[in-house]
Amino acid sequence: MAEEKVRTSSRASSRGGTEKRKKKNQIPIAMIIFAVIAGIGVWLGFKEETLLLYWLLGLAFGFTLQRSRFCFTASMRDPYLTKSTSITRAVLIAFAITSIAFTAIKYGYFINGLAIPGQSYIAPISIATAIGACMFGIGMVIAGGCASGTLMRIGEGFWMQVISLFFFIVGSLWGAHDFGWWKRTFMLKAPKIFLPDYLGWLGGLVVNLLIIAVIYVIAHKWEKKHSDGLSH
Amino acid sequence: MKTFFDKIKQNDFYKLWFKDALPYVTGAVLLSVFQIVTFTTTGNPWGVSGVFANWGAWLFELVGGSVDKWFYFSSPGAQATLNAGFLNDPGTWRNLGIVAGALFAAMMASGFKIKKIKSIRQVIAAALGGILMGYGARIAFGCNIGALFSGIASLSLSGWVFAAFMFVGAIIGSKLLVKYFM
Amino acid sequence: MAKEVELDCMGEACPIPLIKTEKALEELEVGDTLIVLVDHSCAMKNVPEWARKQGHEVELEEVDDGEWEVYIEKMK
Repeated sequence: MAEEKVRTSSRASSRGGTEKRKKKNQIPIAMIIFAVIAGIGVWLGFKEETLLLYWLLGLAFGFTLQRSRFCFTASMRDPYLTKSTSITRAVLIAFAITSIAFTAIKYGYFINGLAIPGQSYIAPISIATAIGACMFGIGMVIAGGCASGTLMRIGEGFWMQVISLFFFIVGSLWGAHDFGWWKRTFMLKAPKIFLPDYLGWLGGLVVNLLIIAVIYVIAHKWEKKHSDGLSH
Repeated sequence: MKTFFDKIKQNDFYKLWFKDALPYVTGAVLLSVFQIVTFTTTGNPWGVSGVFANWGAWLFELVGGSVDKWFYFSSPGAQATLNAGFLNDPGTWRNLGIVAGALFAAMMASGFKIKKIKSIRQVIAAALGGILMGYGARIAFGCNIGALFSGIASLSLSGWVFAAFMFVGAIIGSKLLVKYFM
Repeated sequence: MAKEVELDCMGEACPIPLIKTEKALEELEVGDTLIVLVDHSCAMKNVPEWARKQGHEVELEEVDDGEWEVYIEKMK
């Protein structure tokens, strides 16, 4: 491989060499960015409160994704590619926490006779779901990030992800253009399955958590099996 | 001034909150909290990729196209969003917020670096991956966030179907990556 | 004699740094050290994590803003 070269110097001297480079401190720039972020927030707040709320939520998601290197792509890719499931298991924990909270919130509306919020996210299950999900899975691994991951990596300074975002938008437009055909052909008769409709509120939640638990255990065993018993 | 910021770098709280990578589980808990906040305050779970379709429509209009006749944008809600414009779409600001939040986090950790494109291979991978993700997300009702995270949190079976087929896709993608994009 | 090999993964997004690391380590002898250069904040976390799980000795050093060197001493 061309990019590999054998270092002739000893480890100590090679490390000494790298330390000569003067690191810049980027915290002052972070402060300027913070001021700009706050400024945009104030502007949005005066414009419309909803925009400010969404801005704050986006900031919170972006900050968390970057700080924890959270990556939904890795959660799907690493079990196969590197046999590591630590992110997969973290994602499962997020699924468990949010499904408990979402069920509680939805149940609260239901028991008070109100319309349950967020039910538009119960998507119809058809061949389009399978094809779309598969396309998405291929795309995110090749492009090195899913939707949120692409946005996060643009914030980290990746130009490659800017290209990825542009073509994500192009692909979205293409998909939107063809959406009518997919809808007519596959989605109209496709079932929308909200687990509590079939299993009751408690039953639906329990089944959801059971699926999560089973995958968690499999993921854990999978990683153990492939780390040659050296995992601590 | 300089020494002040250098002192911050040595501070333990700075290291914990801004410097050292948080464990994945901590990230999961924080994302869950914000996902729940999103659901309770906006009435809908978190979604990312639906916004990109609107961005696409605005870009298309910018170059003289029109999406008025498209079924996807035919609902009154979609029309209202498109008519309000880019800067008045809440979803736009949430997505821009992800970029800004990550930028702030990277700078605060003194870990920001512009990463230029290294090769034509990266361009092809990004373009192909982007198109697949965009198209896939539209016909599967969302991405990793809207269809998967929010779907499963909403006790929708579609979330699990999406997960299973995305896993298959991720394996195919990994094989392609190792073979053609390394 | 144990040697040190440098692997340049600058500008590469996940999972390429990790796959390259895996391949490069395979070609090394026990006791050799692989130095992986990365500028991707995710790789700076997942490369050391993977190598430790494989049982190698790992050290991470921040060499510049947004640039890291991962020292992996092959143990087996």
